[in-house]
Amino acid sequence: MSLKPRTVDFNATWTLLQETIHGVITLAHVPRPVWNDRFSDVYSLCVAHPEPMADRLYAETKLYLTNHVAKLLNEVLEGGDAHLVKNYFKYWTDYSIGARYLHSLYLYLNQQHIKTQKLSDAEIIYGGSDTAGEQMEIGELALEIWRSGMISPLGYKLVKLLLEAIDEDRLYHTTTLPIDAVKGTILSFVEVQTYKKKGQLQLYQELFEEPFLNSSGEHFKRDAARLLESKDVSLYMEKVIAKIDEELFRARKFLHPSSLPKITQRCETHMVAEHLLFLYSECKNMVQGERKQDLSNMYNLLKSVPNAMSVLVETVLDHIKSQGLVAVNNLQGESVHIHFVENLLEVYKKYRQLIQEVYKGDQNFMGALDKACSSVINYRPSDGRSPSRSPELLAKYCDTLLKKSTKGISESEVDEKLSQSIIIFKYIDDKDIFQKFYSRMLAKRLIHQQTQSMDAEEAMINRLKQACGYEFTNKLHRMFTDMSLSGDLNNRFSTFLKNDSIDLGITFNIHVLQAGAWPFGQSNVTSFALPQQLERSVQMFESFYHKRFNGRKLTWLHHLCQAELRLGYLKKPYLITMQTFQMAILLMFETTNSLTCGEIRDTLQLNNEQIQRYANSLVECKFLLADTEELSSNTSLRLNTEYSNKRTRFRITAAVQKETPQEVEHTMNSVEEDRKLYLQAAIVRIMKSRKVLKHNALIQEVCAQSKVSFAPSIPMIKKCIEALIDKQYIERTPHSSEEYSYVA
Amino acid sequence: MRIEEGKAVSPSKSPTMADGVERMDNESIKPEKMFTLKKWNAVAMWSWDVECDTCAICRVQVMDACLRCQAESKRDFYGKQDCVVVWGECNHSFHYCCMSLWVKQNNRCPLCQQEWSIQRMGK
Ligand SMILES: [Zn+2]
Ligand SMILES: [Zn+2]
Ligand SMILES: [Zn+2]
Repeated sequence: MSLKPRTVDFNATWTLLQETIHGVITLAHVPRPVWNDRFSDVYSLCVAHPEPMADRLYAETKLYLTNHVAKLLNEVLEGGDAHLVKNYFKYWTDYSIGARYLHSLYLYLNQQHIKTQKLSDAEIIYGGSDTAGEQMEIGELALEIWRSGMISPLGYKLVKLLLEAIDEDRLYHTTTLPIDAVKGTILSFVEVQTYKKKGQLQLYQELFEEPFLNSSGEHFKRDAARLLESKDVSLYMEKVIAKIDEELFRARKFLHPSSLPKITQRCETHMVAEHLLFLYSECKNMVQGERKQDLSNMYNLLKSVPNAMSVLVETVLDHIKSQGLVAVNNLQGESVHIHFVENLLEVYKKYRQLIQEVYKGDQNFMGALDKACSSVINYRPSDGRSPSRSPELLAKYCDTLLKKSTKGISESEVDEKLSQSIIIFKYIDDKDIFQKFYSRMLAKRLIHQQTQSMDAEEAMINRLKQACGYEFTNKLHRMFTDMSLSGDLNNRFSTFLKNDSIDLGITFNIHVLQAGAWPFGQSNVTSFALPQQLERSVQMFESFYHKRFNGRKLTWLHHLCQAELRLGYLKKPYLITMQTFQMAILLMFETTNSLTCGEIRDTLQLNNEQIQRYANSLVECKFLLADTEELSSNTSLRLNTEYSNKRTRFRITAAVQKETPQEVEHTMNSVEEDRKLYLQAAIVRIMKSRKVLKHNALIQEVCAQSKVSFAPSIPMIKKCIEALIDKQYIERTPHSSEEYSYVA
Repeated sequence: MRIEEGKAVSPSKSPTMADGVERMDNESIKPEKMFTLKKWNAVAMWSWDVECDTCAICRVQVMDACLRCQAESKRDFYGKQDCVVVWGECNHSFHYCCMSLWVKQNNRCPLCQQEWSIQRMGK
């Protein structure tokens, strides 16, 4: 074969070519040499001399295909409606394969003649130019002729039959028509357009998908109405979920994948969105009964409908909240704080788990859990008039875990429990109140050497710091610092005593605390006539301390001091650790047999409440005997010389170390005071940097700054602003009463 | 270890004690005292020895860091040792930070207008 252009007899060549085309398009046998010759013929026509015959070849081929498809259409129609789909599919299958071969046969025409004429892709996509009248590659041409010659006249009828087949499948789960014919026919609407650069699905969507979705929608409406008759929400949801699955399965069996989400959405619209009230009617019972399967079904169905979930979320919130309140309501006894925290954690964990399991950890439900926990934990009894007890109880819980105790609980268990307690802590609004209680209890643990492990203490403070920031734990850190500074100070004091050959006669140990960092205000300091036995220690230490530090004064916190006293007047000697006030009372009996409470009070310069408390503790421990049941100023006390105890070395400090209701009350009151100071400091700080600020802007900034620690009330902030105006820290600007300026 | 200042047991006041078991057993040991203080764990609180708790310049308690140090969060784990107190000859006291800025503008005590000179520094 020569590649040189030559003169060609078109008619003779076309006759041969037409014969082969027929064989190719009907998938008849075409011998390889014949194929090769015709392939060359296409080339020869395209490059024919003197005039190329490509356009003529194209026109003849187009005409041939058009006639061929018209013939096929007749044959399909002749088969009758019953065989319409089957026949269509059969011819389509052959034709579409044949068209691909034909495309190969016309390789030269496609590549050299047509491609060069064709618009670039970009021109087609963005240019929007009309491609009608343009020549197409032969494979595309064949498909386009099928569309216009076969699908156009037959489409409506085909679709009707296809929809009937699908309805039949819905009813009987089987079709009279073969599945591959139904699916193949449906997909032919896509395949016939695949050569297009855009709108490949347009024919499929307009011709088939839209009628299909509409008829499915009607079907779903009828199905929903039928299912609703049972009036059983649980059953209904199961059926709907099964229905959606079934429809998806069906869609995969027959349709193009792009239709899957659409059919699901139709189903959800008619079976879920249009029956929300019916679903909601059972919501509360399901949530309260914690019917996991039902709730999971409800969740999965509601998820598809915009904004439909909120009713379920609210119901879950209410349920968790009421379960939480039940868990901590009416707790009584010594270990209220333990039950309180651990019951709450149990509720929290249970519902967290449930949300993971049933609602797949959905943020809406996690948010509901947070809200529920927060409202339980910050619940204020008696209609909000009493403060929430959570800060105190949680602090006490931590205290119990961090204290030396006899209970057999391992270090890792303690660590785990403490780290869990942070879950509760994060929900507390009044974190400053928690901090108050925590610091009081920490102070007592540190000073009375009741700390189980310094590592555990520091780990806990770091957790709080992580949750609330450095500001929050600053004072707690300062307490630790004072502890280590005190250790150092004690060593230096011993050296000082040794160098000056001073013997105090007792083992002396001291904690020097920085005022402000510790929760012991000056208000706790009362008068006390120091027993002579302690005078020298106090004097020596003060002179040592003032030599070391400038401008400081020391206040002795006797209510926190402890003494170890050896009792030598009994059958065997006892070594008792007691509070300094207890010791001072006992020491008075060294010179007298009996004393009244009033006498002791006057000598020691203690107040009545202290005498009551400390004398009573000694009576309860049986070191002293009282002549009246209730102690009064006239009650006469004497030493119990018959005292005996199996143990000879123990402490009697516990009874007087307990947090009294007054102390709790005092702690709560001091919070109010501290908040005012905190707010005033914040206002001064803000005003100093901003100089002039509008009222609302100031309130906003103050709220933002105090959020980590507590939620301040607006009236309280207003009071603080007024107080600062009175004290001339800030003033109203001359032109507006709603604006303040800083007084430098 | 005995308290030197402690009073000896008065036999007349507690006759039973004078015949205590230990004493009977071992005549060479001094008579057992009724009470012997062995150990004292004391707790004291320190604060600046000032007439007024509040610094008149920044209006924050002198035991706390001054406003400037608080705003800058300059506090480290050693509390506010950087932010000490200073006393003038007039005996008025302020945060050292506050006063050292004040004297740059006006070398007088903000409370009594006397010429400012440092009497002592907190340590
Ligand atoms: Zn200051
Ligand atoms: Zn400072
Ligand atoms: Zn002055």
